[in-house]
Amino acid sequence: MEEVTCYIPRTLDEALEILSKDDCTILAGGSDLMVSHKRTIGVDPRFSKSVMIIRNLPEIRKIYTEGGECHIGAASTSSEIAENPLVPWHLRQAASRMGAVALRNSATIAGNIANASPKGDTPGPLYLLDARVKIRSAKESREEPVSDFIVKFREIDLKPGEMITEVVVPLSEDDFDYVFWHKVGTRKANAISKVTVSMALKFEDGGSVVRDFRVSATATGSKTNRSRDVENIIIGKEISEDLIEEVAEAFDGIISPRAMPEFRRETCRRCIRRFLSEAERRRAAGDRRKMIDTYDGYHMPGAPEVR
Amino acid sequence: MEKTISFKLNGRDVSITRNPLSRLLDVLRDDFGMHGVKEGCSEGECGACSILLNGRMVTPCLIPLGAADGQEIMTVEGISATPEGDCVVQAFADGGAVQCGFCIPGMVVAAYSLLKKNPDPTDEDIRLGISGNLCRCTGYDLIVESIKLAARRGRDLWKK
Amino acid sequence: MTTDDISKSVRRIDAVSKSNGSIKYMCDYELPDYLWARLVRSSIPRGTIREIHLPDLPEGYRFVSARDIPAGGQNQLSMIANDWRCFADGDVRYVGETIGILCGPDKTVLEDLYEKIKIDYEEAECAVTIDEGLACKGGAFVNGDNIHCRLKLEKGENVDDVFARADKVVEETVETGYQEHVYLETNAAACKKIGSKYQFLASCQCPFYIRKSVAPILGIKPEDIVVQQTTTGGAFGGKEHFPDVLCGPLLLAAYVTGRGVKIVFDREEDIEFSVKRHPSKVVFKTALDRNGDILAMDSKVYYNVGAYLASSFVVLQRGCFHVAGCYEFPSFRTEGFGVATNTFPSCAFRGFGAPQTLFAVETHMCHIAEMYGRDPLELKSKYFIKQGGVTSTNGRVVERVMIPEMLEQVLVASDYCRKAREYKPGSGRGIGISFYNHGGAFTGNGESAIIKARFRLKKYKDGHVELFCGQTEMGQGFHTILPKIAAHVLEIPREMVIFDDPNTDRVPDSGPTAASRSTMIVGYLCEKAAKLAKERYKTEDEFEIETQYEHPEGYPWDQSSFQGYAYIGYGWGVCAVEVEVDPCTGEVTTLGVWSSHDCGRLIDELIVHGQTNGGIMQGLGWASTEVLDNVKGHFKQTSISDYIIPTSMDYPKQECFYVDNPYQWGPSGAKGMGELVFNGSAAAYIDALSRAIGKRISSIPCPTERVMDLMLHGEGLDSALNAAH
Repeated sequence: MEEVTCYIPRTLDEALEILSKDDCTILAGGSDLMVSHKRTIGVDPRFSKSVMIIRNLPEIRKIYTEGGECHIGAASTSSEIAENPLVPWHLRQAASRMGAVALRNSATIAGNIANASPKGDTPGPLYLLDARVKIRSAKESREEPVSDFIVKFREIDLKPGEMITEVVVPLSEDDFDYVFWHKVGTRKANAISKVTVSMALKFEDGGSVVRDFRVSATATGSKTNRSRDVENIIIGKEISEDLIEEVAEAFDGIISPRAMPEFRRETCRRCIRRFLSEAERRRAAGDRRKMIDTYDGYHMPGAPEVR
Repeated sequence: MEKTISFKLNGRDVSITRNPLSRLLDVLRDDFGMHGVKEGCSEGECGACSILLNGRMVTPCLIPLGAADGQEIMTVEGISATPEGDCVVQAFADGGAVQCGFCIPGMVVAAYSLLKKNPDPTDEDIRLGISGNLCRCTGYDLIVESIKLAARRGRDLWKK
Repeated sequence: MTTDDISKSVRRIDAVSKSNGSIKYMCDYELPDYLWARLVRSSIPRGTIREIHLPDLPEGYRFVSARDIPAGGQNQLSMIANDWRCFADGDVRYVGETIGILCGPDKTVLEDLYEKIKIDYEEAECAVTIDEGLACKGGAFVNGDNIHCRLKLEKGENVDDVFARADKVVEETVETGYQEHVYLETNAAACKKIGSKYQFLASCQCPFYIRKSVAPILGIKPEDIVVQQTTTGGAFGGKEHFPDVLCGPLLLAAYVTGRGVKIVFDREEDIEFSVKRHPSKVVFKTALDRNGDILAMDSKVYYNVGAYLASSFVVLQRGCFHVAGCYEFPSFRTEGFGVATNTFPSCAFRGFGAPQTLFAVETHMCHIAEMYGRDPLELKSKYFIKQGGVTSTNGRVVERVMIPEMLEQVLVASDYCRKAREYKPGSGRGIGISFYNHGGAFTGNGESAIIKARFRLKKYKDGHVELFCGQTEMGQGFHTILPKIAAHVLEIPREMVIFDDPNTDRVPDSGPTAASRSTMIVGYLCEKAAKLAKERYKTEDEFEIETQYEHPEGYPWDQSSFQGYAYIGYGWGVCAVEVEVDPCTGEVTTLGVWSSHDCGRLIDELIVHGQTNGGIMQGLGWASTEVLDNVKGHFKQTSISDYIIPTSMDYPKQECFYVDNPYQWGPSGAKGMGELVFNGSAAAYIDALSRAIGKRISSIPCPTERVMDLMLHGEGLDSALNAAH
């Protein structure tokens, strides 16, 4: 087996130049690609086409805010995201619970998106917060919502010559009164998602009418699930038990889990019920604690706080 | 396709000409004889091969050699030769942290990495810090206790 | 430093070299002139091999299979039974069965060649589960009925007579799943002919087993083979007989090529193609009086043995000997069946058959109690066996049983009584408790009739003492324990005692490192030798002493009828677990784990503590997240990311207690403990979980999605168990 070409560019321009000539596999952290291409101990991984390693490109490893939006460089690692208070809470949560500690120092946000796994950790919050990917080629740059960029299971909208350079998150927990993020993992840490639900809600100022509500779930279909139609059921209305049920049932209608369907459906339903009823209870009681989880007294060690 | 890749290994400048897509784990073990870097799972799940890359703990089973170009690597061999690393090793020995030992070099790296950042960790901090290092023998309790011991004994070292 | 108080902890001999990474495991040996090897395996569970298509092999590469076995050699691995073939020949009986071994100098070339090997099969219908095996799906392939082995035990009044007059006879089936060992060091071994002997290096528990098992392949004597154990990164039973499966083909490859040959499994290979804990199914039929007290217990114990018997009859026996748990029932009967299936042969795993039946009886007892609205503890407490009590094999319990004292420790620490009262079924919180034991060493007269352990101690001129036996260090601490025992008796510093990894040419056969026997049996032989050496140590420059196992008189055993004293010394355990269940997701958080164990006198507190922690956590994993499915003969979980073992975050810090109950025939009073500590946590966890969700749980593992399923559809705790028919 011939070994493929491997590029290690020093700058983003160099990387884009290489991409314009050679349609490479882009390797950022390596945490997915090195596993999917591995062979056995002491034998080099096998790639079918050229590989470009972008792990250490400084231009795409920055996190900053601009125009009220959070910009996250494509090669930012999960731990850099989890530790950075500029990053919206949902995303910090997801990044902080992705895989093993050491893996979080390798895995990148662009890799997590481009892997397009329905169990990926970051797409849930990214869908929830209307995040966009910035994509560049040697000639052009464009932006696309993450939810469109991930086409379906293992398929993304990236053309030859293009690479993700940044992820832009326009919304944060500051835009909401109550937030929820819960990952049911295979275990308490170092876990793959069995189902993850992200939610956020805002009431009209001083009122009981819902101004905004969002819910997304991962590992519940071939890609992350979110639907504005479902959310619209409760937006502009007051929360009632009937409406909660209606939202829960409508959300159930948009997910399509293959394995463990009842568990995944029931978990989504219960999380939605819990979040909406608890948000309403807290609003009515003037309780402004923002984070809501699956039950009172739930403790997730090491979870990032809201800013 | 081979490339010459240079990096700092345990404080020493080294370079190697090899397929840059080789797993850094194989390179460290086979080319540099760093046998303390253990292969437990080949997929970044067990932490037995943990090393420090620019001071951050990573698993070299997931890292292509090419990504190490120009970077700084510390393995358990280098870490245990430092006063802080030795403090962890000695605490592990005294605290009963070691059974079969295969996960332990990775645990030492995790403990070192944790204490460097957080010299005074709570039990929960420690458990989080080693949560990516799987151990099948100890049930982790005595590893946690040993890391606490290393924090206590090395108080001045870690706060340097 | 001399060790005055044997229980006081010392630094483990291997702790520093394991921590700084300098100690060598099998995969760390460079062995540059050895060939690499890869096992070529069956990809179907049952069928015949039509043709093996090999790619053109470059010079220096060889494919070795059954047809290379020389005249006078046998295609078998001689374990306890000899039925496991070294190579499949003609037909295959399970996925992963070795068909050949491919070897050559370059690993990448070898891997390329390996991927090009194509094997044509004629596939037959396979049996995978216990039920399919019993139903002889695809036709019986063992003994005409797919029963590899069976046994029956009876005690007290005839069970059927009691059933006839009982108020109620209830029936319940309790099941347990596969469990993978996940020793962190994967299997690895190497073999080369050096001089006139074949020299093995192997990560293993039992170097003498390897020698005996593989020698017949070449028709040579075990003495023509030398096995050097290498530092072993965990085993838990998974390296008791399984290394034979690698070493057999390695031996033949070394014979055929005339070269050294080495193999190191990667993780995927190690999970997919290695032995597992036996899945089990125990069907109880229990006679109750009006109050729900137990009059008689009958059980049928089925273990999924897989394609070959190997060591499984002994596992099944131990299972049946433990199905009465820590209890003495007035009338008792059990029948055990080792069921043949087209799956990877099951083998030893910490507990060796006892954990399955102990989980079953504990769980069944809980369900009986709850059906009558009684606290399981109250019911269980009525039947604790005592010193002199009659065991299920009609022997007696020789030692004092300290369950009441141990229970007290656990009750106080866990606050069980208050919590059991206050946490209502289905409230989301629950506490559970379990009782368990483990018979130490080989069953019955196995130690005297089969093993006949020998031990040697040698004193050198410079005052050093060396210990010689086949016992291996696999993490459990024996390399520290044994010198400690000798040093304690001789009153010399432990540093003066040498004890190396065994080499079968240097040490006498002291039996396998298994069955929690090393400290109890071999440690005792060491203590005996040291006592004999003590006077001579001061006066003689150099001498050797050999000791041999002697069975204590007055504890007979009949292996043909399984009657008598199955074990002279048991370890005993009590474990309580408290959990909280997430009402939205079914996730379980364990809030507390409390245990008390009687393992005689502790040889080293810290080592015992570490064993306890690890054993309990393995049991908790078995009960909860460690799902291992076998679909059409293939294990579905093939990596550490889908076979889910506990991390440091999954369970809280444990509280461990011990009672001091010195054992007459153990070194300083020590008994076995490595397996005991595994045996009970699963039942306590499931008891707690079932109370928290208010639903009956009769099988493990019980991962999150099953908890949700039970919350939605499970049977209530107070619902009646099925009436037996």
